[in-house]
Amino acid sequence: MLVELLNNYFLMIVLASLLANFVISLYGIFFKPHYIKKVIALTIFSDTMNTFAIYIGYRAWIGGKNPRPPVLTSYPSSEALHEFTLRAVDPLPQALVLTAVVIGLAVVLFLVFLGYVLYMHYRTLDLREIKRLRG
Amino acid sequence: MQRAVEVIVIMSLVLAIALLLLLASEYLLPGESVRLLASFYLYTTYNPSLPNYTVNSPEAVTAIVWDYRGLDTLFETAVFYLALIAGLALARRLYEEGLREDVDLSKSGLSLIVKTVTRLTSPMIIAVGASIALHGHLTPGGGFQGGATIAVAPMILIVVFSTLFLIKHGVTSDRMLVIRSLGLIGIGLTAILALLMGLVIGKFAYVFQNMPKLNSPIGVPATIGNILISGTLWFFNLFEMFAVAAGFVIAFIILMLVKGGEK
Amino acid sequence: MVAETTVYFIMAISSLISVVATYLAIVEKDLVKAVIYSAIQSAMYALLYYLLMAPDIVLVYLPVAVGLIPGVLLVLIGKTERWEKDAKSG
Repeated sequence: MLVELLNNYFLMIVLASLLANFVISLYGIFFKPHYIKKVIALTIFSDTMNTFAIYIGYRAWIGGKNPRPPVLTSYPSSEALHEFTLRAVDPLPQALVLTAVVIGLAVVLFLVFLGYVLYMHYRTLDLREIKRLRG
Repeated sequence: MQRAVEVIVIMSLVLAIALLLLLASEYLLPGESVRLLASFYLYTTYNPSLPNYTVNSPEAVTAIVWDYRGLDTLFETAVFYLALIAGLALARRLYEEGLREDVDLSKSGLSLIVKTVTRLTSPMIIAVGASIALHGHLTPGGGFQGGATIAVAPMILIVVFSTLFLIKHGVTSDRMLVIRSLGLIGIGLTAILALLMGLVIGKFAYVFQNMPKLNSPIGVPATIGNILISGTLWFFNLFEMFAVAAGFVIAFIILMLVKGGEK
Repeated sequence: MVAETTVYFIMAISSLISVVATYLAIVEKDLVKAVIYSAIQSAMYALLYYLLMAPDIVLVYLPVAVGLIPGVLLVLIGKTERWEKDAKSG
């Protein structure tokens, strides 16, 4: 059916663009010589991996109704609980991504302080210059 | 012009790879049912008919973060603390935090319009952040979300006014360090709350326990009066909010105070 | 039926804009513009998280990746250097 093919194509666009982000940010970490550019590429890289994890936890549309976030909004009678477990999105990748975002932020904060000390010592943040000057 | 051509090439590459992936799409689409572990978490997160397994919190993600997988969050808080200490140790002699008396604060900073708008909106930012943190067991939110939102307000104040404005009004890095340490002590005490209650009464209890379990019949109460607080979850969110917000404020103040390089 | 296609279409549009923003952030030589492009990419990712039904992650990601990280990086750029030099050989 044409509508189903269109839906699948849009989801594949999401996956392909995540793959493209992954490749471009990896190129940015390895081949760009400035320190701050490497830090920016590192944040893009870790965000792309978090998006992969959340995409795995998504759920398909059953009977034309959208999946719900994993939050109960009414008192849990047994029908409401059954409906909830039938429609809600997987909560476990979201909890793991929460931890991953916090740790990524802590690493970037430390890298910013390290970059500042590096500049104070070598007067430049171009890593090829630092490799030439080293010591 | 050359940039536009490169952008068009990359977009068409992405669309073509998506067309190729369409052939294998039956392995890459989201499924109709979740995994067995996830359905267990969804079924028992707020289920008064299963008193030994439930968490009494309608928000499944906060229950996983602070109850089912509480030890992960404890170590994540420790990692954040270690990264902050490492960053501050790198910059330890490169700044001075004295209170300079000769700076006229009414002439520094941005224009009057921006200052007035900032005076109006930064209490609002702090109030919204506190609401996100304290309702973390009922709606999406929690300690870290609220703490990060509250940390945006001092950053705006530093940019619009100046760092000396913040220090003159009592927000120094030593006081923020005290608040952060109090937040971390609070998290540690809440983690052993059920154990302390068990020691006082004389029954068996686990460390990091929230609700009564099979072998230990006492637990932190789930409601106070008529209000649902889900046991230790509310206290964890409160202390985590203080710890995270104070940690960010320390990092900003020290990063703004180190001496800039001469060009 | 139409609702499902619309949601997937908005997901696809925001992913494509994030690819463009990522490419421009990596190739740009002025570092302030690179930080702004990375903030645009994070905003598109936040929209994607909302459509993938993860509201907790949206509430973490918006202050962190659109407010705090560009703020800290801009302070660092102000204290060090702003332009990235050309890639010489060797």
